[in-house]
Amino acid sequence: MISVSHLVKRYGSRTAVSDVSFEIGRGEVVGFLGPNGAGKSTTLRILAGFLGLTEGQVAIAGHDVVTDSFEARKAVGYMAETAPLYPEMRVSEYLMFRAELKGVPRRSRVSWVGHAMEQTRVVDVANNLIRTLSRGYRQRVGLADALVARPPILILDEPTSGMDPNQIRDVRTVVKELAASHTVLLSTHILSEVEATCSRVIVIARGKLAAQGATQDLARMRRTSATLVTVRGRLEDAKKALRGVQGMGQVREVPAVGASAAADDPVHCLRFAGRTKDEVDGGALVEQAVAALVQAGVAVREVTAADGSLEELFAELTLADRAPREDPGEDGGDPEATA
Amino acid sequence: MRALWPIYKRELFAFFVTPLAWVLIAVFLILQGLNFYWIIDTFATRAEASDQTPLQAFFGNTVLLYLVLFLLVPPMTMRLFSEERRSGTIEPLMTAPVSSAAVVLAKYAAVVTTYLAMWLPTLLYLVILKRAGDVDLKAAAAAYLGVALVGAGYLSIGLLMSAATDSQFLALVLTALVILALFLLGIGEFVARDGTLLQAVCSHVSVWAQMNDFASGIVDTRRLVFDATLIVFPLFVTTRVVDSWRWG
Repeated sequence: MISVSHLVKRYGSRTAVSDVSFEIGRGEVVGFLGPNGAGKSTTLRILAGFLGLTEGQVAIAGHDVVTDSFEARKAVGYMAETAPLYPEMRVSEYLMFRAELKGVPRRSRVSWVGHAMEQTRVVDVANNLIRTLSRGYRQRVGLADALVARPPILILDEPTSGMDPNQIRDVRTVVKELAASHTVLLSTHILSEVEATCSRVIVIARGKLAAQGATQDLARMRRTSATLVTVRGRLEDAKKALRGVQGMGQVREVPAVGASAAADDPVHCLRFAGRTKDEVDGGALVEQAVAALVQAGVAVREVTAADGSLEELFAELTLADRAPREDPGEDGGDPEATA
Repeated sequence: MRALWPIYKRELFAFFVTPLAWVLIAVFLILQGLNFYWIIDTFATRAEASDQTPLQAFFGNTVLLYLVLFLLVPPMTMRLFSEERRSGTIEPLMTAPVSSAAVVLAKYAAVVTTYLAMWLPTLLYLVILKRAGDVDLKAAAAAYLGVALVGAGYLSIGLLMSAATDSQFLALVLTALVILALFLLGIGEFVARDGTLLQAVCSHVSVWAQMNDFASGIVDTRRLVFDATLIVFPLFVTTRVVDSWRWG
């Protein structure tokens, strides 16, 4: 449904997107992941027909966005980042306007708008001025706008930004419901969002395609990511104890949060990970590691999972093509994820 | 072009739902009302002193008409595109299946409609004049055609300025400057030496001379062509500007 090949976008001398290619098939829900400024919004705006491209080709539902922009835009329901709306209109007025603008037949307009409002749970604010809505409601009105003309493809730029956890859960539910009948491409910088809603992930960093693959690959990377342990005692003892554990991969010290600098109370934070992704069960490794530390006379204060934060994942994905990491256990997932 | 109608309706809605529109209309009607009052007062007391009809005095040979347009047009057009760009609503607008021309024409049609609606109550002046004496309705029609065309040209320039910048204030200032420049160019008719090319050009583009003609019932094709140029050319450029956001 969406086909992007060798897409390049330059603003003057600055390259925002460079040589990005991917395909999205009918019925897929794809997460478009990347840190801020990676070129996510630029790419989505090109797909939605708001921005032109410098080089390459983009086809939406078989329509080229340059030569057949009108048909391409017809096939897409697009929600812009921060969901800009007209503040002086009421929610239902706005959606009726959008439905008419997108060519929804007069007979169907009221019912389609009603349905979109139900899907996005904005019925209770239908008569409110958009000006008075909270950020979360505005986002959902933006989502309703994307849905209202019932396009086969949805492109959502950070649909959950600015929402509270309950609203995020609501929107995820909506997206999952939509997945049955739509092709969805949604951008986010929240990893868990992708895991919750998407079947496939495309990662973009610094305007380049960093990785793409099934969400399970991403999840695996995350599950086997490292553990942080805060200990009190001699650093050498702790390191030695950890390295003695079977299946242990890299062990290194990281700056401890809130550690006192006092020499007589040395608190250290260590980061360790299993040697390989699948062979070592993360839980068993942690149990053994803690036991080994205690046995070595090192006091354990805190054990936390170094969750595969996006920063970490990005470091892995984007540094991978520069230089191999010293820790094979962490790097192992990359070749799988990079299709 | 199917998108023209919904955007047109929304623009009218947006204009009349804000206090700005009502303030502008109120100011317009107060100024025109005062102008009309003075004219009638003058004619009532010393009718023999003038060789014009009240209608000619109202539409032609008066700086008040231009002052009103100068004050009115820039705030009417300033928000048309700048506000959408500033607030980001241009993004959902342009990603809907609409053509740039439809967006431009819809916004323009909406602001012209508003402008004409402002003039509508002044038709009452004709009713008042008719009760007191004879009114040349053909000359009146020509005069209204004149203000409609001159206003439409100014509004077209204002639309272009609003597309040229995402600052409403800058759009306002630029529009006011262009309108002022056009007016001053027209005044050049009286300043430049007789028979020179400059004087010919000035008299051709003079809104002042145009309104004098139209108020006397003289509709000159050359004036119509000039007005059409003033309307069509900025609209064309605006469409190109809007296109350039997409492909620039």
